[in-house]
Amino acid sequence: MLKLMRRINYWKFLVYAISLTLLFPFIALILISFGDTDGLWAHLFATVLIKYVANTLALMLGVAFLSGIFGVLTAWIISKYHFVFSKYIDFMLLLPAACPAYLVAYAYTDFFEYAGPVQGSFRSLMGWSSARDYYFPEIRSLGGAIFVLSSVLYPYIYLLARTAFRQIPESYIEVSSLYKRSEFWTIGFPLARPAIAAGVALVSMEVVSDFGTVEYFSLQTLTLGIFNVWIGMNSITAAAQLATCSFAFIIILLVLEMRSRSGRRFNDTSKNQRYGRTKSLVGLKATFCVTFCLLPFCFGFLIPISILISNLVGSFKWLNLMDSLVILRNTLMLSLIGASLIMLIATLIGSVSQVSSDRKLQNLVSFSSTGYAFPGTILALGVMIFFGFIDNILVFTEIFGLNLYLSGTLIALLFAYLIRFLAVGYGSVISGLSKTSPNLVWASRTLGLGFSSTITKISIPLIKKSIIAGGVLVFVDIMKELPMTLLLRPFNFDTLATSTYQFAHDELMTEASLPALLIVLSGLIPIVFLNRLLKKPEF
Amino acid sequence: MSLKNHFVAIITFILSAQIIDAREVNIYSHRQPFLINPFLEKFTEKTGIKTNIIYSAQGLAQRLSSEGKNSPADVILTVDIASLIVYHDMDLFLSIRSQKLKQNIPSHLRSLDNTWFGLSKRSRIIVTSKDRIKSGSIKNVEDLSDQKWHGKICTRPGSHNYNRALLASIIAEHGEKKAEKWASGLVANLARRPQGNDRAQVKAIFEGQCDIAIINNYYFGLLKYSDIPEERDWAESLNLVFPNQGKNERGSHINISGGGVAKHAKNKSEAIALLEFLTDRASQDLYGEINFEYPVNPNVAPTIELQSWGNFESDKISISTIARLSGVAQRIIDRVGW
Repeated sequence: MLKLMRRINYWKFLVYAISLTLLFPFIALILISFGDTDGLWAHLFATVLIKYVANTLALMLGVAFLSGIFGVLTAWIISKYHFVFSKYIDFMLLLPAACPAYLVAYAYTDFFEYAGPVQGSFRSLMGWSSARDYYFPEIRSLGGAIFVLSSVLYPYIYLLARTAFRQIPESYIEVSSLYKRSEFWTIGFPLARPAIAAGVALVSMEVVSDFGTVEYFSLQTLTLGIFNVWIGMNSITAAAQLATCSFAFIIILLVLEMRSRSGRRFNDTSKNQRYGRTKSLVGLKATFCVTFCLLPFCFGFLIPISILISNLVGSFKWLNLMDSLVILRNTLMLSLIGASLIMLIATLIGSVSQVSSDRKLQNLVSFSSTGYAFPGTILALGVMIFFGFIDNILVFTEIFGLNLYLSGTLIALLFAYLIRFLAVGYGSVISGLSKTSPNLVWASRTLGLGFSSTITKISIPLIKKSIIAGGVLVFVDIMKELPMTLLLRPFNFDTLATSTYQFAHDELMTEASLPALLIVLSGLIPIVFLNRLLKKPEF
Repeated sequence: MSLKNHFVAIITFILSAQIIDAREVNIYSHRQPFLINPFLEKFTEKTGIKTNIIYSAQGLAQRLSSEGKNSPADVILTVDIASLIVYHDMDLFLSIRSQKLKQNIPSHLRSLDNTWFGLSKRSRIIVTSKDRIKSGSIKNVEDLSDQKWHGKICTRPGSHNYNRALLASIIAEHGEKKAEKWASGLVANLARRPQGNDRAQVKAIFEGQCDIAIINNYYFGLLKYSDIPEERDWAESLNLVFPNQGKNERGSHINISGGGVAKHAKNKSEAIALLEFLTDRASQDLYGEINFEYPVNPNVAPTIELQSWGNFESDKISISTIARLSGVAQRIIDRVGW
């Protein structure tokens, strides 16, 4: 055993090295946040800071709540009941994951604002002539942002909760019905809590780091504040300080949630359980379920996509399509390489940290995969500083007539993706590993297989599905990613997201619609694939 | 394709950014590609110099600075004076010698140390509803804080570069205290929470949500000649006001798009050639034709379309003063909640 452990140490060393490398951009950000800000904080405290924090909190709680309702309830309905179209609805509920939040925000604004078709037809229908005649909720508001973000982010929760609900043994449900207790509140929800919490955590991190939606809605959150301080007051120092604070804040939340779960176990140790029996529903109840489950799909996919398509009709040009196809190729290639890289590293550090049972390593790994909570642009700044530093070391390659600089290459961009999306891949790998017993690994090692072959022959096949599932989510995330791609990409390199942005930034929705639709369409394919994969029984 | 070929393809894809051509110029641009590409195509046509571009609205100065002397960037193009000053203050520009640039650009629109240069002008103007606001009832930007416009004004958020610069011009004229009073008066007159870009403000006037808005002049042109009929109607519903044109007034606030050569430019002469090209008659005309911007070159007249909107005097304050007051302006914006 001791000898086996020693060999693992090389792997542990490698994982330590990777995790520490991933921390460098954070360290760079913390370093630039040390500096004089010329009384900026006093000014911020006295004026906007409280508003920033309150808005961020309200947005986060609002989205957590609404996307929680969308995700958890639909997951419960789909995994417990069988009704007309339930198979299709199950799949439709995932589709909003392909829509970037900022695009949905653009589409909805056109649609719902005062000058949009909804209010316009209201006015002509009711004979109203101005905004003072009636009340209509403003889309560019806190409520609007909660609605938009929840509509596209709930699939994270849905996906995780659905899997958890399906794994609840039938016997538990039977016990609860014997005692006439609510199946959902006494069994379903408590058992699925880790999965739901993981989903809500991902969603909250997305919300805190969102810039596109809040900028478009002029919602003064911390992220928008970071930009006001950085661009408006030209203080990168204060911006880095604000970013670090908001980052610390989300980390505290995550730790609190993990603490409240620690000491409890959620896995099921008995064998020979039956799972996933569904009740059939007809009539009124079925109608209710269909309607309820279709709502988030319509909000997060059908309506925004219809708006985009209607924008495109009439302005479609073949030439634009040809341009977009080249960009599509870039996007797919980049997302594929990025997703593979991230899953490779996630699997490596996941399996090593599981086997090594080294708490320090596990904490370090979890910490280095929190890049998800940083606003993309700010994270990109950290990555730039890091690569600037590396390039200064690489200067020596000039001696050999090479100019091996990494800044401004796809390597820098891929590294940024790795920091940002490792959380998604790592979470998926860990959840897969937590269902397999470490004893299997030890057995294999005792039988003489080396650590690397154990990982490739035992661990990876066991969690293959989790790896692919994580990979698909990362793939779609990279396809949608905007701020880091915009800032770190090489010359003359566009992805669909950056190509959409240059038009949408100027509210030129007609021009933006084609690349936007391509993002959604090419995101759909992996999601369909993911859904198929997750439905197949485990071995 | 064999596995090996796949591998080679991927590596080529990743490293493709590094393959460098002979005569070329590398551009970091804050201006969207679809607005700058027509210029670059003409430039390549004329000089044979290939252009490479990266566009981002924010963060390129930080990228340039962290790349340091290894940076591939040769030219920086921005859409406002504040970002030019950011590059200047971070010491990212090279001081260049070009008689042509000096001739083509008036001194208040370029830096004294020959680091940055204004390339086109845009005026921040007031637009009013043709039907609801009597023409001539607003003359100066200061009028917008008058109580009689309560609930009538729409603007984009104060913390946008264009509004920040406008407020900076008011600070420069009247001092911080009066400027803050103006800003809080303006905020009190707003018909709705500041939101959207300048285009959205015009839309709001057309739909009757408000009667007065502050926009950059080119938005009016873009809407007037839009492919979308409805947008042409928006423009049709407006009167244009070039503010502060009275006898002792300072003139309408202008901002510039501009550029400079990167400190560690590898293609210095190509970079200077590009800047010079952009101040030439043909390019100066193109700014007006594509994006309804005014020429900086005093020898080039605005396009006929622009002239038809009316001639105006622009504020002659040194444009860098506006940028220097940006931080002060942002603090006022935070305080009054614009």
